[in-house]
Amino acid sequence: MVAVFVLLATVFKLPMGISLALSALAGSLAGGEGIALRHLVEGAFGFFDIILIIASAMIFMKVLQESGILDSLVAAILRAFYKNKILLLLTVMLLIMFPGMITGSSLAAVLSTGPLIAPVLIKLGLPRLKAAAFIAVGAILGMIAPPVNILVMIMGGGVDMPYVGLTLPLLIITVPPAVIIALWLGTKDLRIVSREEMQFLLPASLREKYGFRLYLPLLVVLVLMVLQNFRIGPIPDLGLPAIFFVGSLTGLFCGRRFNFFKATQKAMEEAMPILSILAGVGMFVQVMTLTGGRGWAVMTFLALPPALLYLSIAVSMPLFGGVSAFGSASVLGVPFLLALIEKNALITSSALSAIVGIGDLMPPAAMAARFSAQVVGEKNFFRVLRHCMIPAFLILAMGIGVLLLAPLLDKVI
Amino acid sequence: MKTKHIIAGSLLLALTLAVGFFSGREFLSMRQDDEIFPSSGLTAKKMLSDYFPALKDTAGDTEVFIFDSAAKGGNLLIVGGTHPNEPAGTMTAILLAETIRAAQGKAVIIPWANASGFTHSDPQEGSPQRFFLETPAGRRWFRLGSRVTNPVHQWPDPTIYVNPMGQKLAGIEARNLNRAYPGKATGYLTEKVAFAVMALIQKEGIELGIDLHESAPEYPVINAIVFHENASELAAIAQMELQAEGFEFRLEASPPNLRGLTHREWGDAAGIKAVLLETPNASHGRLKGRPTISLIVDGKDKYYEQAARLGRLFVPYGPDGIPLKLRVARHLAGVRAILASFNELEPDKAIELADMPSPADVQAKGLGPFLK
Repeated sequence: MVAVFVLLATVFKLPMGISLALSALAGSLAGGEGIALRHLVEGAFGFFDIILIIASAMIFMKVLQESGILDSLVAAILRAFYKNKILLLLTVMLLIMFPGMITGSSLAAVLSTGPLIAPVLIKLGLPRLKAAAFIAVGAILGMIAPPVNILVMIMGGGVDMPYVGLTLPLLIITVPPAVIIALWLGTKDLRIVSREEMQFLLPASLREKYGFRLYLPLLVVLVLMVLQNFRIGPIPDLGLPAIFFVGSLTGLFCGRRFNFFKATQKAMEEAMPILSILAGVGMFVQVMTLTGGRGWAVMTFLALPPALLYLSIAVSMPLFGGVSAFGSASVLGVPFLLALIEKNALITSSALSAIVGIGDLMPPAAMAARFSAQVVGEKNFFRVLRHCMIPAFLILAMGIGVLLLAPLLDKVI
Repeated sequence: MKTKHIIAGSLLLALTLAVGFFSGREFLSMRQDDEIFPSSGLTAKKMLSDYFPALKDTAGDTEVFIFDSAAKGGNLLIVGGTHPNEPAGTMTAILLAETIRAAQGKAVIIPWANASGFTHSDPQEGSPQRFFLETPAGRRWFRLGSRVTNPVHQWPDPTIYVNPMGQKLAGIEARNLNRAYPGKATGYLTEKVAFAVMALIQKEGIELGIDLHESAPEYPVINAIVFHENASELAAIAQMELQAEGFEFRLEASPPNLRGLTHREWGDAAGIKAVLLETPNASHGRLKGRPTISLIVDGKDKYYEQAARLGRLFVPYGPDGIPLKLRVARHLAGVRAILASFNELEPDKAIELADMPSPADVQAKGLGPFLK
């Protein structure tokens, strides 16, 4: 399957999604399952919810751009923070992390606050690719940070560990890297500008014309995201796709007028490659499981000698995360958590979630890197990945370090 | 150029429709219910919606089989299919419904507790849709469903699921019946099912509840009796009895801070003695090889064998695997021992089930000969 995929994607230059789907079909035939139509379709629907989130978030991003809301928001952030570099970097890191912290999804973070933050950083001198790396890594840290870490929830579900008492371990794992990475990526290139220069850098703001109304779409999205976590009274549980859609519709009435249908079409055109990759990845994983390939892969990693357990965790979890971080947490995270059962599961699951989170930077899906590249207008996300390497290694080192020091941390916290 | 696009688009549309048609037929076949042939001891057949009418005509409604002796005694609830991908639980409930007669007290059996979960498979697990067993009347099929409610019936999942007891869980758990107790009358479909089971417990005067499950061999809570603290003595006596019979069972206390599960909420909210039984099932584990029908029925898997050799499992797993007949036999032995223990502790509320197949016979002959 892997060979067919590489052949189709590199020699025949077929789109990634099509290559994945065809290699899944080849795997099904080679595995003696014939054309396993039901499995191919079932697998393709494995990431259906994420596909809807991406599609709706892309429409939301386009609405913010077309209505002029994005420019106005960028202008507001610049006005507030242009004076202090460190404060700006830390605030921006927190802003990027926030949607990930409340939804447990790096993708939600990249797609909701990424488009706001990227222009600010770029205008203040951060190179485009570094800005994208800042957003991608910040989004992943947000996904790992408390209060909501879905990766830990998935692993905890596999060992009946309640999602309680995780705030401190997750803060220990995320706060130091967040501060270090924000300063490391930004301090060198970010400029402190005078008030006059800041005024010059400001994009055209519609604030005076539309007032507070401009911020409504983002506010609606953020409020609905927070509310859905609490199931408060009559507030319906919309789910992220519907929340982004409500935000998009709100945007229609909050800024300058634009053609909504054309904007939607454009957004879907841009989203289509990643949507097809996700459907293809789903087929690939399902056929891998169907033919026994998944079991073989999991056992290969688990069969490594105990001394290599940590190496196997450091390599396999991010690698599988390149298919799906959530899938990696379920398929590999649970067996690894059980392999470390003698240690405090709250600490080990937190550390494993940091390691698996890096998977959102790994090809083929590389969700965080791919979309942050898109946010800064970069077509080749591998160029963004180059700047993510050191932050990713830092997060990985933090995760492995916490795993190794778990008994000590257990006594301290 | 435009004509080319129209032709390409039409071909793609035709291909999509063909794929949708043929795969759709396979998906829809899961909506055909398994058949059950209750024993002559059946005294009433109800629907879960009889206890909570809002469930009527929904995918959550399911059959309830009642075996009432009319002789004074206690009332027992046996639930299978809370997780439709754990076939030993469902098969034990079906086997009991097709064989038993209540000699004292009353037994209420729900074989497919999460009926919606039986109408689909878990994406990316590659599971077969059904498995087959030879019976005296011929070959019978049984569905292997998903751990959770069908998203066609309950969708979308929230990002974070806050269950009726306030526990925060991953969004998909909103469709997990064993996280939804004590249920919610106005909640998700799965919560309504849990609510209906709680209503049944109240209306039928249930005093002892047994929830039949399976778990992956790499999972620590396995070959186990998980008990609510109000059933600790009952579970301990049952364990001793099982050990005497040659069945090793672990005792696991229900964690008080793990909310929404049967062994916690049946005990807390309804005050009944609540226990959950687990047997090892390779077909829904993460280390499994090919997820075939044979893996479900015969339970042999080379990767689990390897994992056992490496000390990664919590149960012995040899070349003979852990077949369905052994898993069902363990459940039967568990039910029998728990009943005996209950009768010893609560003689005024004794429950006697006659004609229950013996675990040793099921283990030796398989389930088929005991099914209709």
